[in-house]
Amino acid sequence: MKPALYLRDKVFFLTAIIVILCIVMAVTFPAQFATIDNFSQLLLNLSIDTIVAVGMMILMIAGMFDLSVGSIVAFSGGMAGYLMYYHNVNFLLAIAAGIGGSVIIGFLNGWLIARARINPMIQTLAMMGIVRGLALMLSGAGIQNFSYEFVYIGQSKLLGLQAPVWYMLAIVLLFIFLVRRTIFFRKYYFIGANEKAARFSGIRVEKMKIWAFVLSALLAGIAGILLSSRLGAALSTSGKGLELRAITAVILGGASLSGGYGRIAGAFLGALFMALINNMLIISRVSGYWQEIILGCILILAVGLDQWLLKKIENK
Amino acid sequence: MLKLRNISKSFPGVQALKNVSLEFNIGQVHALCGENGAGKSTLMHIIAGSILPDSGEILWNNRSVSIRDVQQARQLGIAIVYQERTLADSLTVAENIFQANPPRNKIGLIDYQSLHANARQMLDELGLQAIPSTRSVDTLSPAAKQMVEIARALVQEHSLLILDEPTASLTTAETNSLFSIIRKLAKKGTAIIYISHRMAELAAISDIISVLKDGEYQGSFDAKQTATEIILTKMVGRQLLNYKYETHIQKETALEVKKLTGKYFHDISFKLNKGEILGIAGLEGSGRTSLARAIFGDEEIISGHVLKNEHLFKARHPADAIAAGIAYLPEERKGSGLFSTMDIASNIIVTGLNGLWYDKAENNVLAETYRKQLDIKTNSVTTIVQQLSGGNQQKVVIAKWLHTHPDVLIINEPTHGVDIGAKTAIYEILKYLTGTGISILLISSDMPELLLLSDRVMVMYNGEARSILKRSQMTEETITAIATGI
Repeated sequence: MKPALYLRDKVFFLTAIIVILCIVMAVTFPAQFATIDNFSQLLLNLSIDTIVAVGMMILMIAGMFDLSVGSIVAFSGGMAGYLMYYHNVNFLLAIAAGIGGSVIIGFLNGWLIARARINPMIQTLAMMGIVRGLALMLSGAGIQNFSYEFVYIGQSKLLGLQAPVWYMLAIVLLFIFLVRRTIFFRKYYFIGANEKAARFSGIRVEKMKIWAFVLSALLAGIAGILLSSRLGAALSTSGKGLELRAITAVILGGASLSGGYGRIAGAFLGALFMALINNMLIISRVSGYWQEIILGCILILAVGLDQWLLKKIENK
Repeated sequence: MLKLRNISKSFPGVQALKNVSLEFNIGQVHALCGENGAGKSTLMHIIAGSILPDSGEILWNNRSVSIRDVQQARQLGIAIVYQERTLADSLTVAENIFQANPPRNKIGLIDYQSLHANARQMLDELGLQAIPSTRSVDTLSPAAKQMVEIARALVQEHSLLILDEPTASLTTAETNSLFSIIRKLAKKGTAIIYISHRMAELAAISDIISVLKDGEYQGSFDAKQTATEIILTKMVGRQLLNYKYETHIQKETALEVKKLTGKYFHDISFKLNKGEILGIAGLEGSGRTSLARAIFGDEEIISGHVLKNEHLFKARHPADAIAAGIAYLPEERKGSGLFSTMDIASNIIVTGLNGLWYDKAENNVLAETYRKQLDIKTNSVTTIVQQLSGGNQQKVVIAKWLHTHPDVLIINEPTHGVDIGAKTAIYEILKYLTGTGISILLISSDMPELLLLSDRVMVMYNGEARSILKRSQMTEETITAIATGI
């Protein structure tokens, strides 16, 4: 493979950059950066984003995206919290209700987009508002004082890492495997590459699209439960801006807005890269205001670099 | 007025125009005809300034000019109505007509009062009193849209008007009113270039008919004096490929279509035998593609039946048709046949994505057998299909359909944009397939292809099956005549 091709392979490229960044940071700030505590915290911070980004990656492979995932995170936690706090519902049932409600939202998104042919951007933008409203109704100013069982899900530790990190790793590994090895998930690459040809080749594109939105909402629902359990509170503001962070991570990780490209590992690496940049800025005491500015610039740079490399390859 | 001298133009792989010389005169309706790919569109684009010729000279009022862009063509007085719609659907009729140069008021804003008044006047002049200038274009009928398109071309200063297939979406009455407009314009001194497939129309409207074939000028004929047959023979006839017809037709019926009606075709009935190649001829818009898609489950069937191996069968989705042993190779290779950014192996195995596990290595092995069988010229099945030539790409699409092990293969323009060598190879593949008992419905605009391969040919016109010709009755002239509505 030519060097330009390696650079265009986002999983390779991001891994390389992440390793370089880690080395630089470890040398510059050995006391603050290269500690187990820092890494454990870093992974914890990116776990919720990554779980959502996995669903977003599958949508993007198929050439779509979902803006309502951030609201679903708040809704799912709010639903579970509301049922436990006000109605004394068993925590498992409450979790099932939160995730089940999220799945219904995902199904509605998918059905309206695939069957009623509403543009994904408009549909999920509208759903983002609707679901955020629902989350506000459910959790109001915030619900606290959850049972030990519920809080345990997100606050327990194993081998020095908090539970959400393990959930994230499990989900990432599971989907890396599924997307690589199952025919069901491979179909999304075909849909993203050429939807019309996919239909002509016998792929039931509409059904597949509905499943993708259901899956994205399911993962967002799980993320919502984990987040409220970890915080010990269901907040209506949870997951604000998460949809855009997930899309950023997924694009950094090699997805394309036009579909057909991307790997699950890329979603994780994209999120890890973003968390790492944040971590670097905090440790080197750069003002918090700069974080979003720098991330925005990195996104533009990454996409610009990719276009430039593509041109180089095509000219050869 | 306009003289073309020795115009040549080539695109990668095709010589679109070879030393074409033509003259267009004031007040004359000059028809250009020829088969698909004869070079009519290229010539028109050159006159309109959207394509530059490789060599040759253009004389405008006996002065040598080079038309470098559309703007310049417009300044010379060349107006053009393209075959594809170019209207802005959400704007009103008046806004569309004066799109290039709307009347403005003192401070430079659009003056809507004069805009509508001017549009009204323009429409009235064309005899289009029925079209309100304030209507949004998307609410108009296809015919009215076509008229608005013409009105828009005419508001600019023009002394030459080019019409490309203007009647494709018009009824007979609408065609007649368009013709009277054309005659009026010609009488006023406008030179008109009229491009059409429909022979009957050409005789009715034009003064002179010029024929192009494979990019070469075949001569000009007086429209009123020359018999249509003479023009048809000029249009057709080409060197044949190194391919021998052979029939593998068997007795059993593989596919039967009974009084099938869809959105763009009606009351079609035919039987396709095992091992038979049934050609389907017809112009674009004759309903042939729509028919194929309806059988394949991609378009709605309004009434009628399809029988597969004598069992009633209805596909609601292409997946149903594939499961029943029907394959469809669509006409737009890039748009709906290929996954251009993916590799050969993925493009082939896509039709067999059933079951649970995906095994890339196994797929590559499988794809490799097809690569060898169809002689797809590349080193490896992991080559991205974008990098293949048109002929090899088409072989990939054929391979993808062989992978479904179909009994009936519907193919639409299988050799469009493919060179002679690949063409012959594809014909050999089709012949081999019929030998294994596969039946083929061959939709093609390439006349020699239909004549060479088909056991029978069904000719469609305006959504109807006009006739089904046996091999002994098949000639290029008869087929073209029926397909153009004579």
